[in-house]
Amino acid sequence: MAQIVLMPKLGQTVEESTIVKWHKAVGDSVKKGDVLFEIETDKAVLECESFYDGTLLKILVAEEETVPVQSVVAYIGEPGEKIPDAPAAPAAKPEPKKKAAAAPAPVEQKKSAPAVEVAKPAPVAAPAVSSVPSRSDSATAKKPGRLFISPRAKALVKNKVVKAENISGSGPNGRIVEKDVLAYLEQTGYNDLRIAPAAKRLAADKDIDILDVTGTGDNGRIMVRDVETTIAEQPQTMSKMRQIIASRLAQSFGHIPHFYVTTSIDMTDLLEYRKELKAKDMNLSVTTFILEAVVMSLEESPIVNSSTDGVSVRWHSNVDLGVAVSLENGLVVPVVKKAQTLTIEELQTQMKDLSEKARTGRLMPDQMSGSTFTVSNMGMFDVENFSAIINPGEGGILAVSSTLQQPVVKDGEIKIRSMMKITLSADHRTVDGAKGAEFVKAIKSKLEDVELWKSLI
Amino acid sequence: MEKFDIVVIGAGPGGYPAAIHAAQLGKKVAIVEKEKFGGTCLNWGCIPTKALIATAEKFAEISHAAEYGIKVDKVSFDYAKVVSRKDEVVAKLNSGVGALLKGNGVTAYSGTASLISRNVVEISGKEKVKIEADKIILATGSESFIPGFIPKSPSIIESKAFLAMTKLPKSMIVLGGGVIGCELACMAAMFGVEVTVVEMLEDILMILDKDVRSAIRSNMEKMEIKVLTGAAMTDISATTKTVKGKVGETEVKAEKMLVSIGRRPYTTGVKLENAGIELDELGYVPVDEFCRTKASNIFCVGDANGGPQLAHAATAQAVRVVDNICKKERKAMEVLIPACIFTAPEVGVVGLTEQDAKEQGINVKVGKFSCAGLGKAMASGETEGFVKWISDPDTDQLLGAVAVGAHATDLIAEAAVAIRNELTVDEIGNTVHAHPTFAESWMEAAHSVHNLCVHSVVRRKR
Ligand SMILES: Cc1cc2nc3c(=O)[nH]c(=O)nc-3n(C[C@H](O)[C@H](O)[C@H](O)COP(=O)(O)OP(=O)(O)OC[C@H]3O[C@@H](n4cnc5c(N)ncnc54)[C@H](O)[C@@H]3O)c2cc1C
Repeated sequence: MAQIVLMPKLGQTVEESTIVKWHKAVGDSVKKGDVLFEIETDKAVLECESFYDGTLLKILVAEEETVPVQSVVAYIGEPGEKIPDAPAAPAAKPEPKKKAAAAPAPVEQKKSAPAVEVAKPAPVAAPAVSSVPSRSDSATAKKPGRLFISPRAKALVKNKVVKAENISGSGPNGRIVEKDVLAYLEQTGYNDLRIAPAAKRLAADKDIDILDVTGTGDNGRIMVRDVETTIAEQPQTMSKMRQIIASRLAQSFGHIPHFYVTTSIDMTDLLEYRKELKAKDMNLSVTTFILEAVVMSLEESPIVNSSTDGVSVRWHSNVDLGVAVSLENGLVVPVVKKAQTLTIEELQTQMKDLSEKARTGRLMPDQMSGSTFTVSNMGMFDVENFSAIINPGEGGILAVSSTLQQPVVKDGEIKIRSMMKITLSADHRTVDGAKGAEFVKAIKSKLEDVELWKSLI
Repeated sequence: MEKFDIVVIGAGPGGYPAAIHAAQLGKKVAIVEKEKFGGTCLNWGCIPTKALIATAEKFAEISHAAEYGIKVDKVSFDYAKVVSRKDEVVAKLNSGVGALLKGNGVTAYSGTASLISRNVVEISGKEKVKIEADKIILATGSESFIPGFIPKSPSIIESKAFLAMTKLPKSMIVLGGGVIGCELACMAAMFGVEVTVVEMLEDILMILDKDVRSAIRSNMEKMEIKVLTGAAMTDISATTKTVKGKVGETEVKAEKMLVSIGRRPYTTGVKLENAGIELDELGYVPVDEFCRTKASNIFCVGDANGGPQLAHAATAQAVRVVDNICKKERKAMEVLIPACIFTAPEVGVVGLTEQDAKEQGINVKVGKFSCAGLGKAMASGETEGFVKWISDPDTDQLLGAVAVGAHATDLIAEAAVAIRNELTVDEIGNTVHAHPTFAESWMEAAHSVHNLCVHSVVRRKR
């Protein structure tokens, strides 16, 4: 009997996913363990494997479509086998089988359970497309309201490669007639345009309104490259990940009253000490020292490690430290859980492992959620200072900038020192100015205190 | 120190049009030339080669006059006379350029120019003069050279020396199957020289599509030119009477060897470093799409900037640069540059080739029409060759064209107009072409892009 393939549920926070690529086509034979499709959640792109041997009989969710987790996406079975007309709904809400380390495979079910439901009008009628627009429709696409237009006018509009939507009709019901189009062309200066034939063809092909194109050829002639520029400038739906980033940042910045505290940290001695350690074959990165200092300081200032909804405040007993890792197409924040329980070396090892996974897209959703505080390090980008936006659900975020050689007054003399600026963004609803200052001061004094590190390592 | 708005260095097809155009736009202009007005093109390049090639073609035509029913007794030629006619043509054009410069009020200096700074040019001629320039246009061109691995000998020459010879050798090796090599090989063969072309790459004229190359190569072989490709020439030795070498296992030997394996920019003595301009590793002056160098008041046009190495490209750049300076415009250089090759048969090519398209992964549709199907070609007895359009299958846009055969170098102009103005295959197909002409082949080839060519048998796919 045909087996159902479901959109896997990956962790607690993922509610819907987009299929970005099918690795198999209908009719392909599929082996257990073969990659069936790739999905993109708000956190990552993951490959989903088949749990069955058989033939891919039907695909219900096309590439670029977004559906809630647990929706039926395909059927696998014997060739020619009958499959239900409507997609079956999942019987229960099973937790996904966790497969440690490996890419998550789709959760599938024995057909026996949902068999009854198949007969019913499917509750998950056609893979419900979520509110996130699919990538094919443009972000500003107009609602295709009914347009009344005469055949002659329509032919003229098509021939001139302009959009009828912009023309006001003078006929009954606002019907657009030929003379309206002619007037429109006159009004808009269309008749003075010079258009290269290939450019016009391209615009027609790609559904571009010639009037949206600015010509750069001889005497303003519209050339192919101009149409290409207009095409390139059309709004495009952002990736799922980008949309989620956008909505979360906007939500955070709109709701959380941010305030900022900056301090400069003299890293000279620590860098020197790091060199000493390196000579002893102990290779700790500067980031590791910073993270460790943050963890210790959070323990001293628990309010910075708390979160609020404006009514209640939650104190977190653990420091679950998020560390922003930038990717080519966005950003992920892997989380080091219970960071306060780790030695400095364990912290480094875990962080290394997580960022490697982040870069190769192999982070599990649970490895990138649930942080209580986040560090964003732009030290590698040669920046003097910046401030970050708090991740919703957290009380603060620390922006770490580059360590730069700078003239500094030390012991009444100007010296060249390696200085690094950090800026705390904190939720002012819970964190008072003084608390914020205390926190950055704590980090500073730790990083400047080599004796402390000597006692720890 | 006299001060000019614009100082042009070099009076080739880049330099002299720049100077004249700027003067016509009301600027005070000076031009500096160390040798002769007209540069490589006029004195040792396009013009003298074409004068010799035209003569060779006339000779070949007259030799075949009987095919047309014309009786000519004993055709022969006097090469010294051929060369002196060429020299007359060059001299005439040469003084023409001088007169144009003078007539348009350009101050001409003769001597070698070098930069003292971004604004000061020193001219070493009969005496040393310094002039000041608001803007400088470098048009110092390029020169042919014989690489070091080839022994020095009077029997081994490059194109400039070849053009000066008043007697043709009995046999000649042409090292390098590029444009200049193949043109001179064809010309010499038409005058009865035993020619061997040696090219290291897999074929001669590698810038062209395979079908075009094989049309030329097979005709060259018909003219009894030996074409050796795919191996470098080794063990080269020379006496005053012969040149010898090996190409793979084959021994090659001839009275003279013409080396045509490249040219180098004439940029070293110009002291561009005094203006903060560094040359690239091949010695070219790096420029942007506006032919601007790193120094904001100094421009470089023509061969010296490493562009297409064609006279008309140099001129087009020169005029555009002057317009940009004088009219305060900011127009990029034209990128669509047709190229002509005066082999037998001759070739004109413009835009994308099929092999470019393949390399760049561009999907194209091709339409070809063979001259054998043209009434005019039959009437003239010039049925060799074909024309070919390369188009975009999605938008029908014309992207490239090539013509090989009689009049190909003139025919290509129509294709350049069509491609630059982004016409479609249909529009060329719908443009009525006069009959009977060679140009009709463009219309026919356009029809055949859509498999609708009246004058060829279209095999329909079932
Ligand atoms: C054999 C041969 C055949 C060719 N056939 C063709 C053809 O058919 N069609 C075609 O388009 N192209 C042809 N070319 C190429 C064409 O000649 C060049 O592309 C063209 O001449 C480049 O023009 P230019 O102004 O950049 O440089 P050039 O023509 O090289 O002119 C540069 C001038 O600057 C002068 N000069 C250099 N340095 C200084 C200095 N410091 N001070 C003062 N003066 C200086 C030189 O003496 C020279 O006169 C041919 C070339 C050769 C060698």
